[in-house]
Amino acid sequence: MSSRPEYYVPQPYDPYADDDPQGGWFNSDGFVPRRSQGYETAQGQVTPQGHAAPEGYDAPQGHVAPQGYDAPQAHDAAQGYDYDPRTSPYQQQDDQPTYALHTVAEPAAPAEPGYTVPETPEVGWDMAASRRRAWVSRAVLLFVLAVQAVLSLRLSNTAFQDEALYLAAGHAELQHLLHGTPLPIDYGAYFSGSPQLYPVLAAAVDGRFGLTGARVLSLAFMLGTTALLYSFTRRLFNERAALAGAALFAVVQSTIVMGYFATYDAAAVFLLALATWIVVRTDRAPVAAVLLAAPVAVLAVGVKYAAALYLPTIVVLALLTGWPHKGRKAFLRMLLLALGIGALLAAGMYSTDLLAGVRQTTTNRAHGSDSAAFLLQRSAQWGGLMFLTAVGGALSYVRRSRMNESPAAQRLGNPGWRWRALLGLVLCGTALLAPAYQMHLGTVVSLFKHVGFGLLFAAPMAGVGVTRLIGAHFRYPQLGIMLWTATLCLGIQQADWRFGVWPDSSKMIQVIDSHVDRKGHYLASTPEVPVYYLRDKTSHRQWQGVFALEYTDRKGTYHKGDAAYRAALRDGEFDLIVLDGLTNPRVDGVVAAAVKGNPHYRLLADLPFRNSSGTGHYRIWVKTA
Amino acid sequence: MRLAKRFRSGAAARLGRGRTLRFHRGRPTRAALAGVLAGVLALSGCSLLGDDSGDSPASGGTAAPHATDGAGQDVPYDVTPLLKPAKKYFGASVPGAPTSMKNVDAYTRMTGKQPNLVEYYAGWGDGFDATGVRNAWAEGALTLMSWEPFDTSLADIAAGESDAYLKEYATAVRKLNLPVVIDFADEFNGHWEKWGTKDVTPAQYVAAWRHIHQTFVDAGATNVIWAWSPNIVNPVPDVKLKPYYPGDAYVDWVGLIGYFTAGEDNSFDSVFGTTRDRVRTFTKKPILLLETGAVPGERRRADIRNLFAGVAADDDMLGFIWFNHKKRADWRLEASPLALKEFKRLAADDRFGFDVRKPS
Repeated sequence: MSSRPEYYVPQPYDPYADDDPQGGWFNSDGFVPRRSQGYETAQGQVTPQGHAAPEGYDAPQGHVAPQGYDAPQAHDAAQGYDYDPRTSPYQQQDDQPTYALHTVAEPAAPAEPGYTVPETPEVGWDMAASRRRAWVSRAVLLFVLAVQAVLSLRLSNTAFQDEALYLAAGHAELQHLLHGTPLPIDYGAYFSGSPQLYPVLAAAVDGRFGLTGARVLSLAFMLGTTALLYSFTRRLFNERAALAGAALFAVVQSTIVMGYFATYDAAAVFLLALATWIVVRTDRAPVAAVLLAAPVAVLAVGVKYAAALYLPTIVVLALLTGWPHKGRKAFLRMLLLALGIGALLAAGMYSTDLLAGVRQTTTNRAHGSDSAAFLLQRSAQWGGLMFLTAVGGALSYVRRSRMNESPAAQRLGNPGWRWRALLGLVLCGTALLAPAYQMHLGTVVSLFKHVGFGLLFAAPMAGVGVTRLIGAHFRYPQLGIMLWTATLCLGIQQADWRFGVWPDSSKMIQVIDSHVDRKGHYLASTPEVPVYYLRDKTSHRQWQGVFALEYTDRKGTYHKGDAAYRAALRDGEFDLIVLDGLTNPRVDGVVAAAVKGNPHYRLLADLPFRNSSGTGHYRIWVKTA
Repeated sequence: MRLAKRFRSGAAARLGRGRTLRFHRGRPTRAALAGVLAGVLALSGCSLLGDDSGDSPASGGTAAPHATDGAGQDVPYDVTPLLKPAKKYFGASVPGAPTSMKNVDAYTRMTGKQPNLVEYYAGWGDGFDATGVRNAWAEGALTLMSWEPFDTSLADIAAGESDAYLKEYATAVRKLNLPVVIDFADEFNGHWEKWGTKDVTPAQYVAAWRHIHQTFVDAGATNVIWAWSPNIVNPVPDVKLKPYYPGDAYVDWVGLIGYFTAGEDNSFDSVFGTTRDRVRTFTKKPILLLETGAVPGERRRADIRNLFAGVAADDDMLGFIWFNHKKRADWRLEASPLALKEFKRLAADDRFGFDVRKPS
């Protein structure tokens, strides 16, 4: 623009342009200079001050009276006589008051204007929170939660082996706590969370309301997580980002599935969200208030050991959220929280014997064979879109901190770009922790859930990303809608797929029901499932899985691995064999080969099923001799 | 006027340009984002319909995971309680049954007890008589089909020459989902059958049996009870049974075919004892007298008494099937009223007969 040659162009709507370069329309004494012939001015016509339409004034010939405006003919000046009787001072001499003859105490006060233009505020709305805004956003949040609940509740399948394991363990632990019944196996030694926490709670619910009840408990945890996410994102940014973040988080696969999955995960995510919420909520409170988050965070780790991966994020958030309000005292806040968590963790480890379980399931977990590229691809599929939104939000937030259309927002003290960059880095970086750790372990097991843990932290930034995508004043709502719809479609499709990975076991349970008793010894691909469903008449101790077996045959020879399966089946060791062909297809093959032509066994049932990866079948053999 | 118009249009043009300019500044990134999102939507839409499974090597289309599978509307019938029930099978083979249960009903009236095992004979190549099995089941009886390969050699069956037929048959049996006893190529140890010792080696016999069994297992037809049925060894003492035995993994019952005939001692052990003892050298599977009868005449009453007593005395004896036909001899019960009376009296024993739909 500036490179253009400067020359005057009358700006048609320039409010500051001079109305009349000839010296004004009205003179101070009410005299209106004569206008050229043909100019028609009607009595009573008020030309608003500031009227800037150039037409007609600069080109009188072209002036056209506005339609519907009829000037009374009587006032028309005679043709050729160039003066106006209404405006000529000579005609009205006698009407003028003679000031000299009057004593005027004071000049009359200027007439009250007919109306006043109120002082125009800079913005037409209040930036501060209001009751109405709070309720509107809560209503939207409620809608988001309703969508989340519907998405979770529409899933259906029989208990997955992990659910079955935790619930069965919970029942055993309950019996142990209430009646002192000895535990069938030491669950603590290989569980990835404390068997005394979530499993007991879930089993209590399961005992009363069944599997659906236990799953609805998880739904409650996940709905609580979304609500807490909304709350702390609102505190960090604003309602809009909070709603957008919650809406995205509510429809990703991990949230939908964990919300109807009776495992530790929902409880652990909820506790992490609660700890984060406490940290964010106490940003202005006395420094010590942050310690409230420590027991919650440690409880989250107790519920699921892997939750410890997210504690550093919470500790750093204690610093970041405190910084704008407390400055350097925020470091004290962080330190206090870290020490609190550390002390409680140490106390927990010292007082319980769960360390072995932690080692086996979490830190020293057996390394798998899933490639990093595969895990990366899966992570991208399951959380990539939301993560990208979060990264976009973080970048945009670093560039521009303003979170409100109101110009008043510009005058707010904003945290510096370093703080904003750090916040973005911490929140987005946390989403990468689980995929990175699983790549290190080389296993895809549970990755979909752990992706969800990370997305909880990335969600606030994703919320910012969505609000920035939509733009100020909802300029591009379609982009936000498209992003959410895409996330929703992916979430639904992936959740459906996930819930169909394992076969529906109801028929299998029905078939084996009459062949299971308190004495038998059974082999199954997923022993947890029958142990859970038939817990009234069988215990975990009677069941053998397909991952490891040690067997000493009748002649006293010790076998392990595949040979152990062959030897045990040759001896007719198991009274029932249930293979699904999915859990460990290799060992299933070994077992099926050993059963073929085996005089001890008869095929009891071949149950076809459909799962996410196509079709398969349960094969069930019963010992007949 | 012209000027004004030009002015207006000029202003509009400028305004318009201004707007486009402003649009253009923000647009490329947003347009790109919109494109990416549309792409993701399209992709997710596609994968909703298409195959998205990379986890399992055996991927075959993502369908609704919980749609009930066509093959298994019901849980497969568990035949294990029928393998060795507490009570004895009280069986009969009567003409026309079980396609028509008329003669079975007549037999019931005649003997005073409802048979719970009905035998019929089918040729290799015949279709499966699901209706017959259902008819018998409706009256509380199990069906035993004696499957006789008249036109196909056992070697061909073992080699899979009739696999199409066999698979179709097995699928039909599975679909019926009611227990069925199958006895294939009975009296194989006799020289008088087409599949007998003159034409078939024990190895061929075993191979054919195992092949049939495996085909049924592969089809998931677990509702079949397999009865391996030699003739009693009395007329063919030199033929060893063991080489013909497919193995315990392939057999549920040993079905003996033997009659109380004239010119022979009529004690139970004389008729079945030798064969039973020989069978017991290689298997402990329970024994059913799969086909029995007694020649009409004076001795039939005693034969019948021996039959009931012999079966009742041995826990490993599942029961018997009376061959109520007039074939070569008149084996029908009604042929000897006195013997029938005795039969009726003994059949009243509660140990004989039970409703197969409610075993134990």
